[in-house]
Amino acid sequence: MALSKPFLGLSICLTLLCLVACAPVQPWERGNLAKPQMALDPYPLQSSLRAHNYGSREAAAGGNAAQGGGCGCY
Amino acid sequence: MQRKGAVVAVIKKSSSHPCRDDAANLSLKALTAAALILPGLFQSTAHAAEEDSIDFQYSHYQEGKREGINRLMTNSVTGISSKYAIPNNRNPIEVDSLHGSARITLTDRIKFAFNYTEDTWSGATPIGSAPEQSNANSVKGTTFRDDGTPILTGASPYATTTTYLDIKGNPLYQVFDPSTGQASYRKDRTMHVMSYASPETRKQGDFKLGYEWDKATLNIGGGISLERDYESRFVNLGGRMDFNHKQTTVNLGLSYTNSDINAVLDPVGFGYFHNSTDTQHKDLIDTNPITNRHTLSSNRQDWATHLNLTQVINKDALLELGMGYTRSTGFLENPYKISWFFGVDPATQPFGLPDGVIFASGRPFMEQRPDVRNQWNWTARWVQYMESMDAALHLDYQFAHDDWGINAHTFAADWVQSLGDGWSVTPRVRYYSQEAADFYKSSFSVSASPDPITYIIQYALPDNFSSDQRLSGYGALSGGLTVSKQFVKGIGLEAGFEYYTHQSGLKLSGGGEQAFADFDYWVANAALKVNLSALGQGVSGGSYSHASHDDHPAIPAGVLFAHTLNKADDTMIGYRYMHNQQVGDFLHGDKAVSEQQILANGCPESTRYDADGTLHFDGGCSLLFRDMTMSMHMLEFMYAPTDWLTLMLMPQFMDMKMDLYQPSNLIDPSAHTFGHTTHGHEAGGIGDTGMYALVKLFDTPQHHIHASIGVSVPTGDVGIKLKERTKDLDSAYIHYGMQLGSGIWDFKPSLTYTGKANEWSWGVQVGGTKRLENSNKSGYALGDLFDTSIWGGYDLTHWLSATVRATYTWQGSIKGRYARSTHKDNQLPTCNIADFTYADVVDPYTGDPITQIYLHQAEYNTCLAIIENAKRQNDANDRPSPADAPSNYGGHYVDIGFGLSATVPSGSLAGNKLSFEWLQPVYTNVNGYQLDRDGALSFTWSYGF
Repeated sequence: MALSKPFLGLSICLTLLCLVACAPVQPWERGNLAKPQMALDPYPLQSSLRAHNYGSREAAAGGNAAQGGGCGCY
Repeated sequence: MQRKGAVVAVIKKSSSHPCRDDAANLSLKALTAAALILPGLFQSTAHAAEEDSIDFQYSHYQEGKREGINRLMTNSVTGISSKYAIPNNRNPIEVDSLHGSARITLTDRIKFAFNYTEDTWSGATPIGSAPEQSNANSVKGTTFRDDGTPILTGASPYATTTTYLDIKGNPLYQVFDPSTGQASYRKDRTMHVMSYASPETRKQGDFKLGYEWDKATLNIGGGISLERDYESRFVNLGGRMDFNHKQTTVNLGLSYTNSDINAVLDPVGFGYFHNSTDTQHKDLIDTNPITNRHTLSSNRQDWATHLNLTQVINKDALLELGMGYTRSTGFLENPYKISWFFGVDPATQPFGLPDGVIFASGRPFMEQRPDVRNQWNWTARWVQYMESMDAALHLDYQFAHDDWGINAHTFAADWVQSLGDGWSVTPRVRYYSQEAADFYKSSFSVSASPDPITYIIQYALPDNFSSDQRLSGYGALSGGLTVSKQFVKGIGLEAGFEYYTHQSGLKLSGGGEQAFADFDYWVANAALKVNLSALGQGVSGGSYSHASHDDHPAIPAGVLFAHTLNKADDTMIGYRYMHNQQVGDFLHGDKAVSEQQILANGCPESTRYDADGTLHFDGGCSLLFRDMTMSMHMLEFMYAPTDWLTLMLMPQFMDMKMDLYQPSNLIDPSAHTFGHTTHGHEAGGIGDTGMYALVKLFDTPQHHIHASIGVSVPTGDVGIKLKERTKDLDSAYIHYGMQLGSGIWDFKPSLTYTGKANEWSWGVQVGGTKRLENSNKSGYALGDLFDTSIWGGYDLTHWLSATVRATYTWQGSIKGRYARSTHKDNQLPTCNIADFTYADVVDPYTGDPITQIYLHQAEYNTCLAIIENAKRQNDANDRPSPADAPSNYGGHYVDIGFGLSATVPSGSLAGNKLSFEWLQPVYTNVNGYQLDRDGALSFTWSYGF
């Protein structure tokens, strides 16, 4: 697992950087963040469908591999 | 309401601790106060509130055709070899999926979600790959035209084969030049070996139960996915914590999946890749001595965990970082994938091969993968709000690494553009690239030598090998568009399209598989999203939704078209599920018949042999079935443009399953029968779509009469075919009862009377279906139908009522029959007039005619008759079971139904109606020979507003 360490390190660095550097955003400043287009997954129905299609055609597992989905043996 | 309370509390708190720039802050607060009421604002930002909702989604996945095969064939007249294209007439993989989900708030803090998914897929897919000119794709029954050019009808997979290799193991093929008598060797290319599969259905149900604290959520979930050959059960646990005034959110998830594989191996292929001297997966394969059916049974387990961190960067940007780990153990192979091995035996090279050319004999083997796979992935996502355009840009990157040698990168970008008035449009682009697994090759060359005793060639197989394209090196580019519209009433519609192209040449830094592995697909989907919380705040007041049983008669769940909407501009959406089953004895009329009787008489379209071997076309069955089940999922959209008229649209999705068996006295263990005989049949997909107008004829508080007229639009497929029984082309039609629609426009009128007095209600309905054409594109028309129901209901409470119903149904038998399938015509002899036009006496030395040359009509007719008889016999063989005969459809049926009907009286789900009905057969009188009926279940949900 040679590759995971740098990535893990990078993740932690970015996070820490952010926690320190990001300006606090007050609740009343979050109007834009609450808009539907800013949702992390704006179309959850479609994204689970796409994930299923990619998952049955590609070797890389998505974030949640073990959530059912069947064999995809075609 | 509670959410608004929270808003006020926060504002008060912040005003008691004013910041330095008081004035600016106050005005900002004033300006943003309204925005704070936006739903989800005080959820952690990236995880907007999941409100009570019901969603439906349909999607269609369609793969493009793979590149065809060109085979080197020798002209039978000139002796010159050249390449000819093998017709590629198999339909590629297509998948129809239906998804329904419900999210419901059980208490203020407990949420429940349920999902149901159903996929049906069929089509041709690669089982492996091999050199194009090797016989792995063997040419079926070649005939030649008069000029000597071959007529190719198709390829069939699996055959053992030979090829030539160069020193590096690259495939070569031999070309023989008739003028010089010399052979030369040219570079061959690799091509897929394709196999076709009959329709198969997967069903999955899963749930999630969540408990919410102010700054955290805990979810547990689980589910099951069922396929004929694959069954998995899964559980998961997830948690979310908010920190730093909800600017930071951490998600942690853990899931476990346990899957059983029960794969019936293709008996045609099995003969090639399995023999007594080298048995792969020996302990896993069980062979049934009677049916000669080989089943591979095994298990796999997957553990997965992920950790995600979401951070609010500023008022316009979010960052999410994540990592995941998945460990899979057990049988990780795809049991249907095959690798071709070309074995080189230095001791048995043919004499006279030029230097650098090696002869190799090829055989397919089932793929072998390691029993463990560890996968890691890292994700990063940036979401940026674009103030000037009211849009958001989503940028995603994922890196995945596993211990099979696969590294994969994914880049994706979405632009979510709000257009106002509830519309939004989202273009999307995605790029994916992966390296090949360490043990992947399109085909393998290994050393091989004959066993000293049996002389069977032994191949030196590596521990792990696969030719599955999913493990090859390639890149994929996809792009798509999503359009969504949010209606004021809490109804949202979403439609999406995506095109995906898998190309070896797109692999990052090159070095991918050859171009033969390239393919593409498109997916289209449409979704309906119903936000129950928003509907409850009903814009139009929801006269229907808040009506209780006090003013509406109870209607059994199995009765369609039995109510209209109250007044102009009312809307109703609903979901209807119906399930029925045929099981038990075979009936002839209303009497049960023995297996012997049905075998002798039940299949008037099929053939029967006398004891002396004479063939009769008069009704012997060679295949029976134990049960057949059908499920229908229907959506109902109703809208009243005026008080007296209600319009209704009803799309349907259906699936059927049938368990077949061959009566034991008819089983021929030596026969490699497949399509019809080895297991059940499945079919599923979009059914016909109904469009109706319901007109009020008489309407008082106590009595109500309305007529419904409409048509059923033939959107369901009536051309579903089965995998051929012995070789590998699509061929005979599936049974009539398993097609997804009628294939023609149907006229569907009905007349309904309902009444209500105090707790009692009652109703009568007569209706029918008239087929508007005599035959659909497959050559038949379902029988017309008449049905009538009479029912009574009693309100047990103000929200629950019980119903009892009696129903009579008549349906005619099928008119016409399936068109004859021509898939075996290429195996028939040909009758050329030229062959029957000759002189009776010819010169014995020169061959010149002495008497007159004429057409020998009687011989020619005999030839034609033989062909006609063979066609008839092939046709009859395509109709082996009672379900293949049009006369074995329809009949008279009487049933009694018992139902319950509930309207949620209060709370956030107030106004939702649910009803169940169980229909029990009491009299069945069938046309011809049919399996008896079991009960039928109906369930409906509806919501009006």
